[in-house]
Formats: sequence, C-alpha cells, structure tokens
Amino acid sequence: MKILTTVKKVVDVELNMHVKDGAIVEDGLQYVINAWDENAVETSVRLKENNGAETTLVSIGGGDCTDMIRRCYAMGIENGIHIDDPALTKADSSIYAKVLQKVYEKGDYDLIITGKQSQDTDSGQTGIILAEYLGLPCVSNVIDLEVTDDQHIKVSRSGDAGTEIIELALPAVIAVDVSINEPRLPQMRGIMMAKRKKIKTMDLAALGTSSDEIGAAAPKSEIAEFMASESRKSGQKFEGDAAEITAQVVALLANEAKVI
Amino acid sequence: MAKVLVIADIKQGMLKGGTAELLSKAKAIGAETAVAAIGSNIESLTPDLVNAGSDTQYIADDPGLELFSAGPYASCVVDAAKQFGANLIWFAFSENGKAVAPRVAAQLDAACATEITDVILEGDQIEVIRPAITNKVMQRVKINTEQLVAVVRAGAFEAAEGITGTENVVKLSIPAADLKAVIKEILTDASGEIDLADADVVISVGRGAKDQAGVDLVKELADDLSAGFGSSRAMVDGGFMAHNKQVGQTGKIVAPTLYMAIGISGAIQHLAGMTGSKVILAVNKDPESPIFNVADYGIVGDLFEVVPILREEIKKIRS
Ligand SMILES: Cc1cc2nc3c(=O)[nH]c(=O)nc-3n(C[C@H](O)[C@H](O)[C@H](O)COP(=O)(O)OP(=O)(O)OC[C@H]3O[C@@H](n4cnc5c(N)ncnc54)[C@H](O)[C@@H]3O)c2cc1C
Repeated sequence: MKILTTVKKVVDVELNMHVKDGAIVEDGLQYVINAWDENAVETSVRLKENNGAETTLVSIGGGDCTDMIRRCYAMGIENGIHIDDPALTKADSSIYAKVLQKVYEKGDYDLIITGKQSQDTDSGQTGIILAEYLGLPCVSNVIDLEVTDDQHIKVSRSGDAGTEIIELALPAVIAVDVSINEPRLPQMRGIMMAKRKKIKTMDLAALGTSSDEIGAAAPKSEIAEFMASESRKSGQKFEGDAAEITAQVVALLANEAKVI
Repeated sequence: MAKVLVIADIKQGMLKGGTAELLSKAKAIGAETAVAAIGSNIESLTPDLVNAGSDTQYIADDPGLELFSAGPYASCVVDAAKQFGANLIWFAFSENGKAVAPRVAAQLDAACATEITDVILEGDQIEVIRPAITNKVMQRVKINTEQLVAVVRAGAFEAAEGITGTENVVKLSIPAADLKAVIKEILTDASGEIDLADADVVISVGRGAKDQAGVDLVKELADDLSAGFGSSRAMVDGGFMAHNKQVGQTGKIVAPTLYMAIGISGAIQHLAGMTGSKVILAVNKDPESPIFNVADYGIVGDLFEVVPILREEIKKIRS
C-alpha cells in the first residue's frame, strides 16, 4: 500500500497572540506541526509497521519545513515532499487541494491521510475537497482504522448519531481526528537517521503545473483582516466552606443569572 | 436579492432548533429562503420546516437516506441549490454539516467557510466573520465567488419570534448510494440522552472526576436538570465518555443558557467549544485553574463534595 500523508507547519496555539492593525503580531510566535497532522503521520507509520506500506508526506508552504519534516522522518515516514512556491501565499483550502491533486496524480497512492483540520484556520476542508477533485471516497473525523484487505479499509467516524463504522474502497481519503492515536516521540536513532534523509523540494513548475492551472492568484476566499477575539470576563469566585459557597452560588444562578 | 438555502438539521426524525436560527438570520438580511431536508420518513416534518421560516422546501425522502452518508447527502444539497439558485448555502453546526459542506462547495466550484459567526452582504460582495487559531483570533474573510457554502457556528444566530414561511414542497430525486464508502453499523451511545447541540443546560465532566464513579456522580446532576451531558477530551481519551460527547475545538461547539464545567481545567481547546454559553459555572479544586477566567460563577472545591450539595441546593430552590 502506498500512503500519502499531508502535514502543515502552523502557528503554536499555546503561545500568546496579539492582533494589531488587522494582522497577527509575528513577534514571539513559534511554528510547529499541526496537531492533527501528527496523528495522520502516526496513523501512516502504524500502517507501515503493521501492514506493510510505503509512506510519503507532503507539505505545502510554511517557509523552511526541514525540522518538521525531519521530525516526521524520525517518527518513521520514508519520503518527504515540500511544495514551495511564492504563487501560493494566498492559497485557500481549494488551492491546497488542487496542489495535492497534482501530487497524488504523480504518485499512484492507495490512501491519503490528512489531519481533520489545521489549527491555524480550523477550517477542516482540504482533505474533503481533495477527495471531490479526485473523485475518491472520503471519510472525515476518523477515530479508528483497520485494514480489511488489499482493497478496503474499515474506519470509525465520530458522527452526530454515534460512531459510524464505514468500509472504504481504496484508493480513498481519510481525515483523522486527534483521538485516533497517541503520536510517538521520535527516538534518538530515528532522529540521527532523519538527518541524512533528503527532502524533495518542488515549486509548481517542478510539480508539472502552474499558478494559472492551480488558480493560485484567484482564491475563492481570502482573509481580509484579523481581529482580537472577544474574551469573557471572569466573574465571581467563591472559596471556603463547600456547603455555604455552593448554596450561595445556586441562589445566584436562580436569582441573579435566572438560569435555573 | 440574496437566496439562502438552509440545510435542515434533522436528528432522530426531529427538526433541530438550528434550522430556525439560520432561516431567521436569512430573513433578517432580507433573503429569499428555502430549506433542504434529507432523510427517511421525514414527510411529516413539512409543517415544522415551514414554521421554521422557509418559503420553499426541497425534500429528499427515501429509506436509502436513513443513515447519514456524505456523498448522497451532498448530491441532494447540490441539486436543491441549483434548482433554487441559491447564493448562500448554510449548514447548522454538526459533524454531518462539516462533512458535507466542503463537498458541496467543490461540486459548485464555490467558496466554503466553516464556523462562521456572521455574514455581511454589501451588494454582491459576501464576507464572513469566523474564529480561527483555537478561537485566539477572529477573521473577516472576503468571499470571491458568487456562491458561499458555510457551516454556522452553534449559537451564532438567534431564532426570531413569530417567524413563519409558506409551504411549497419540491421533491428531489434520490441519488444512488455511495458504494465506495458503505456504512456498516452505527454504534450509538446510551439512547435517549439529551443532544448537546440544543440542550438548554450542558454539564461537562473533566479529569477531576477521576473514574467511572466520578462520572456517574456528575451525570446524576445532569439528569436532575435534564441537561446535556458532555466531557473534556481527557475523559474521552480515558474511555469514560463517548467521542461525540466531547466539547471543544475538535468536538462539539455548544452555546447553552447554562454551562457547568466540573473538574475541567479550561485548556484553550476546551474553551473553544463552550465560551459562547450565556452563563458558565465552574467547579474546580485549584483556585488558579484557567477555567475560572471564563466562568461567571466559580466554586473552588472538591467536586466529590460540591456536586452532591449542588444537587440538593438546586432541588431546594426549585421546589
Ligand atoms: C489538537 C488538540 C485538540 C484538542 N481538542 C480538545 C477538545 O475538543 N476538547 C477538550 O476538552 N480538550 C481538547 N484538547 C485537550 C486539551 O488540551 C486538554 O488536554 C483537555 O481539555 C484537558 O481535560 P481536563 O480539563 O478534563 O483535564 P485536566 O487538564 O487534567 O484538568 C483536570 C482539572 O480537574 C481539577 N480537579 C482535579 N481533581 C479535582 C477534584 N476532586 N475536584 C475538583 N476539581 C478537580 C484540576 O484542578 C484540573 O483543573 C485538545 C488538544 C489538542 C492538542
């Protein structure tokens, strides 16, 4: 089985963030692998280990991605492609999906694994749109996976009605949730080996396409500005005798907030 | 004039409140409204669809559509959108909406935006507001296509009083099943539980509850209040709660009148799912816990001691 895994370098959400003049202040930000993509990498590596698979990752944009890709190598990914092109600075989900379509078409993959969403946008669209462009079956919000035979996988999707068990015919696209597994920490040996591995960096031309074909200059949507999010104010905090303060708070819920 | 197609949010044969909220917003911006309802045995929902504020009802009703399947559902929505000439296609927040919206957008070659909290129309220009980066910032997004497919964040729009529509049912043709993605089974968690999405009160349990006994203790409080019973990720990963009960960035977004966080620390990923609640009560034994930064009322204490007292006091005040 040949697996293509998508990974994106994104801002670390745990750090403080400020908005000024419609933009996020760059100072003090750090960039990391998107959390959901780390689970996608772990999913691929487990498939390699348990079922035998060839694993390739692709990352688009993000500037220098060497450290991130090496980390994925150290986790067990075998091949890495970095698509970097100045034409992609305005890329939205559809444009990412168009680029990934080109990558897929060059590689003859059986399974594409994406993270369910990317923590810089929280959009959750790219994998699904990619599947539409490719005409492949797709399941998102995947929390479990099992290979049934050469041509099928069985996945669990956390849906509105409960956990759905879905059989997918390969080739297929899945978008995984963080609950699917616990990504491993790279080990020293893997880290050392990763340093010697090559990363294939390509621009759109090397990928056999162009800005025009991808529609890179005309995204379907673009961020006009960032704004500070409204933060909630902290209210009243009660400490002391549990019986007393709990009674006090219940009275407030009833009489002040009028919610019970 | 804007034409808004709202995808009816139907769960267990019932029309959920989100549908009326979206249709109310559509009417408020002066749009023509239609609804697309997809499922099995849903004919009887027609009056509800009209009362929710739709002026045309596109209905795909077939036993083959009983179980959710993103492919056929998307085909129905695309069909309805084309027939209606919709330029705005809105889903209420749900896992199914999040799975179908990008497909519809790809098929219509339209823009897609998820988690929107507002939409701004100026002439033909569409813009949306949405949170991003785990709710750390908001974005104003300019839409460059004539059509926008969007998933609306829970609690973003309010249902207007006295809204109504007109009955004009159009039957949609039934798409073929997706033979490449076949649903084998749905494992439902304890049936009859209250849906988090439209519960007036949601009570969530966190790692502070430790084990099954702790979870059961908090659940009793939820049962007393007929509240939706949710969870932090820690308790889902611990195997105590079902994945679809998780509140937060990668789970359910809720905006109830009252949200209680019991033994939850208030990680940003959890806050991303519940800070839209009207009133928040937190119970945590750590006075420095970040959950208190967003709570209107905070009780610093051991939940094993506080929860039974909460139940008693609530019973008292209600009688
Ligand atoms: C990509 C990503 C997505 C995520 N998505 C989500 C999400 O959707 N939802 C979500 O919830 N999390 C999510 N998380 C996880 C999140 O970061 C936290 O790890 C999680 O919310 C912690 O759960 P918790 O508050 O129950 O546990 P903890 O952080 O361990 O907090 C337990 C709390 O209980 C208190 N406590 C302990 N004992 C008692 C007692 N006896 N009485 C009272 N209080 C007590 C402690 O003081 C503490 O504050 C995500 C993480 C990542 C990386």
